[in-house]
Amino acid sequence: MKNIIFIFKSAIDDFSRNKLRTFLTSLGILIGVFAVVVLIAMGLGLKKYISDQFESMGKNTLFLVPGRVLSGGGFSGSVSAITGRFDNRDLETLKKIDNVKSVGPLTLKSTKIKGLLKEDFADILFSSEVLADVMGFEVENGRFFDKSDVTKRAKVIVIGSKIATDYYGSAEEAIGKKITIDDVKFTIIGVTKSKGGGGMGGFDYDNYLYGPYTTGYIFNPDKKFFRLVVKTENESYVSQVREDIKKEFLKRYKDEEFSVVEPTELLSAITSIFSVLNLILVAIAAISLVVGGIGIMNIMYVTVSDRIREIGIRRAIGARRSDVLYQFLAEAVLLSSIGGALGLGLAYLAVFLVQNLFPAYIDLTSVLLALGISSAIGITFGVFPARKAANLEPVEAIRYE
Amino acid sequence: MIKLSDVSKVYVIDGEYTFYALKKVSLSIKEKEFISIMGPSGSGKSTLMHIVGLLDKPTSGKVYVGDREISKISDDQLSRLRNEFVGFVFQQFNLINKLTVLENIMLPAIYARRQLLFDPRERALSILQDFGLEEKRNSYPNKLSGGQQQRVAIARALMMKPKLILADEPTGNLDSKTGHDIMMLLEKLNKEEKITVVLVTHESDIAAFAKRIIKIRDGEIV
Repeated sequence: MKNIIFIFKSAIDDFSRNKLRTFLTSLGILIGVFAVVVLIAMGLGLKKYISDQFESMGKNTLFLVPGRVLSGGGFSGSVSAITGRFDNRDLETLKKIDNVKSVGPLTLKSTKIKGLLKEDFADILFSSEVLADVMGFEVENGRFFDKSDVTKRAKVIVIGSKIATDYYGSAEEAIGKKITIDDVKFTIIGVTKSKGGGGMGGFDYDNYLYGPYTTGYIFNPDKKFFRLVVKTENESYVSQVREDIKKEFLKRYKDEEFSVVEPTELLSAITSIFSVLNLILVAIAAISLVVGGIGIMNIMYVTVSDRIREIGIRRAIGARRSDVLYQFLAEAVLLSSIGGALGLGLAYLAVFLVQNLFPAYIDLTSVLLALGISSAIGITFGVFPARKAANLEPVEAIRYE
Repeated sequence: MIKLSDVSKVYVIDGEYTFYALKKVSLSIKEKEFISIMGPSGSGKSTLMHIVGLLDKPTSGKVYVGDREISKISDDQLSRLRNEFVGFVFQQFNLINKLTVLENIMLPAIYARRQLLFDPRERALSILQDFGLEEKRNSYPNKLSGGQQQRVAIARALMMKPKLILADEPTGNLDSKTGHDIMMLLEKLNKEEKITVVLVTHESDIAAFAKRIIKIRDGEIV
């Protein structure tokens, strides 16, 4: 035990005498660990971000989408995202299916809106009162539009929290005010609670406006919807309802003209794509770990050559081959662990700095992985130089000039 | 204590030319002896000392430590004998320059394979005190004079209470006054501590400290 402490102490003493060399040697491992940990953190963050987005929709939700989505586990074919296809007849068909709790159509309008403080382009999502439930919106101020607003084609609107601050200064200020959408005046009846997110092509729900789809006909004279949302009575009916919807819709549409999508299905498709991409990136980053390991091996060979005499002295006063082996192995492991720890620290810093732009996070597994891999590299690449040191003949080593 | 019988050491150079460093040397070293091995350079006296000190193995012949024949014991056991049984003193001192004086002296204790009956630090300090080097304990060897370094090397050799001290030209790098002091110290260790001393030298006045002088020339005892 005291031997191990002594070995590590003398290795640390050695490093502190050669700070620059120690740092340069562990730089390879530092960069490798940094790259691997940051990439894993980004992959994890992205996965979590996406699943959070879907989580809020609830598990008893189905979407009807025009065209073909998700065949064979991934995206394929053309997805006409904005072009409306479904109409009121489809909505009525859905309502008649057993165990369907509620349905909601979706249309999207991008146009100029004018508030108290600002005038700019924004996106308005027109739907039924189901929307709040489907998207998991909470209304912080005022209320969400209800069934009667839909029936009455009321010119009411619910706005995202960012829209409220940008156009009116605050949520409280916005309530009850008028907002002009494409020359039509709407009354703001509610502001949604911030959901965060956005960026990276994800939806920023705080930057949307939400209105009744019937009122939305003003901008949508064809009365066509680009999505239909279905809520089933509960989770267990989802697959049965899905089959029923397919059956009913096949009476009107061809198989390739529509898709019934479960958000969880979409989620697993998206995450599987990201996981593969992330794995490739991590694998590329891991190459630098190997390069770093070779750097350590190289410097350890130099160290052994530099210290042949010292090895001879140690052998003469009673060190076994194994004592010498462990001494140099410990130095190699320590070198790579220093690199690993610094790389990990830097990765933490990087993740902290990009926190607001990118949802990256470091979990315990990546910490253990980083430290485990860096010590494993130290052992793997340190064992050859250490064996060279241990196998020196004492008498030759001590006479070495 | 140590017995060599018909020990030869042969070096084969470039695969064809063979060089006999030792030719069938037989030698017996008894406990508490003070022996000088004398000979000109290249006579094989250092090779002989390395074999006696278990740093090197003979090409042929047998070496006995007590009644154990060393070709029959493992490398780890040889290391242990070097650690506990023998203490080395070299011409070039062979201290580790990045360790302090105290750490150098304590180094053999790090490699001890058994529970020590003494505290290594206390023992090292008491030897340093005996040698008048106490205030140098935290200095590094390259800051010391040659005589001081050699005394530190002797202190290291004494650390594990060896039965045998092997000194290879211990005065070779020292002026004659300092060299004489070192020899007095070795003589004292032999007389008072009853440690067997084997000295290798080419100087006859240094060899004269010993009670028995073995002369060696061209790998043979003469």
